Amino acid sequence: MKLALDAMGGDHAPQAVVEGALLALDKLDTDVSICLYGQEDRIKACLDGKTYPADRLSICHCEEVIGCDEAPAVAVRRKKNSSMVMAAKAVADGEADCFISAGSTGAVLSCGTLVIRRIKGVQRPALAPLIPNLQGSHTMIIDAGANVDCKPLYLTQFAQMGSAYMELVEGIREPAVGLLNNGEEAEKGNELSKETYPLLQNLAGIHFVGNCEARELMSGDFDVVVTDGFAGNVLLKSTEGTAKAVTAMLKTELMGSLRGTIGAAIAKPAFTALKKKMDYTEVGGAPLLGVNGGVIKAHGSSNAKAFYNAILQADRLVRFGVTDKIASAVQAEEV
Amino acid sequence: MDFEKVRSIIAKQLDIDPNTITPSSNLIDDLHADSLDIVELVMDMEQEFDVEIPDEVLPNIKTVGDVVGYLSK
Repeated sequence: MKLALDAMGGDHAPQAVVEGALLALDKLDTDVSICLYGQEDRIKACLDGKTYPADRLSICHCEEVIGCDEAPAVAVRRKKNSSMVMAAKAVADGEADCFISAGSTGAVLSCGTLVIRRIKGVQRPALAPLIPNLQGSHTMIIDAGANVDCKPLYLTQFAQMGSAYMELVEGIREPAVGLLNNGEEAEKGNELSKETYPLLQNLAGIHFVGNCEARELMSGDFDVVVTDGFAGNVLLKSTEGTAKAVTAMLKTELMGSLRGTIGAAIAKPAFTALKKKMDYTEVGGAPLLGVNGGVIKAHGSSNAKAFYNAILQADRLVRFGVTDKIASAVQAEEV
Repeated sequence: MDFEKVRSIIAKQLDIDPNTITPSSNLIDDLHADSLDIVELVMDMEQEFDVEIPDEVLPNIKTVGDVVGYLSK
């Protein structure tokens, strides 16, 4: 297996990417190799003095870098020699199995869709981040921003793609699929959700459990929450924002009095455990599902540990055959 | 000559029979291409004919004949 890493993507590139790759090589089976795409001299500087299996780590020099301020689809079409496009092209050409980047989300999505291309039969690829839930596992939001406007057929395919991933990579039998909505009842919602509901109910091969209200997202009752990319992105960002605000408020309250400070010191192990549970660097990245090969979008501020986890996630995605499973699920429904 | 090439690219991208494609076929109305299909087609054309098709001209390209016309300019 070969993994293609965009070494220039993210706030801490290429240092964090290189360090994450070295950590992962240490952990992964010896049949896995990594190719770092980016400016060779800068990558080599990060490797200086480090020991690593040279037969499993290669560098592909790419001069250009796609910045976060560039129009994604244009950058992908015009900067053909950029680290991101070259890494994606390796997957498109069958030289690599999965492409990982912490660069601009729009550009990563464009690379997946326009360079690697859709699986035959897939209407729209979807970005599918995983967030921690109260049962100690993860819940997937699909789509979290690749497609702002969706049709019912896109959403039913998201359900199939998300189920395939959760079953194979997270090991969940019959993942519970929910449709994000503004009420639990079947007749609730906008036109899109009302049209999608019966289609999900009748869709073979998935376990649809009904509508999911946003407040139930982290309950653990749902493994896959299906939505259009607009609502999905709002849901993801508001969840992140709420967690951040609650943490800040709690800190202010605790540090405002001697009693609170002592209490916080005593409860420190609980806070540390909570922090680990909510830590995005533990999850890896968000897969882009529905394209002809693996694509993982890592968080822009990923450190070495986040890259390490994104690489392990890519390894599982490829090893367990998520792409093939999605293809057969979507194509079976087409006939 | 270009029409044949364009036709085979479109047929492959949209997974349809090349014989159903004529110069007057409208990409969206007749061949049922959607917005993403169009962008993918543009990329295929750019690669095949080694040209850059600017986004500004896309609204003027409606039929297969328009594609051939633009490429032969």
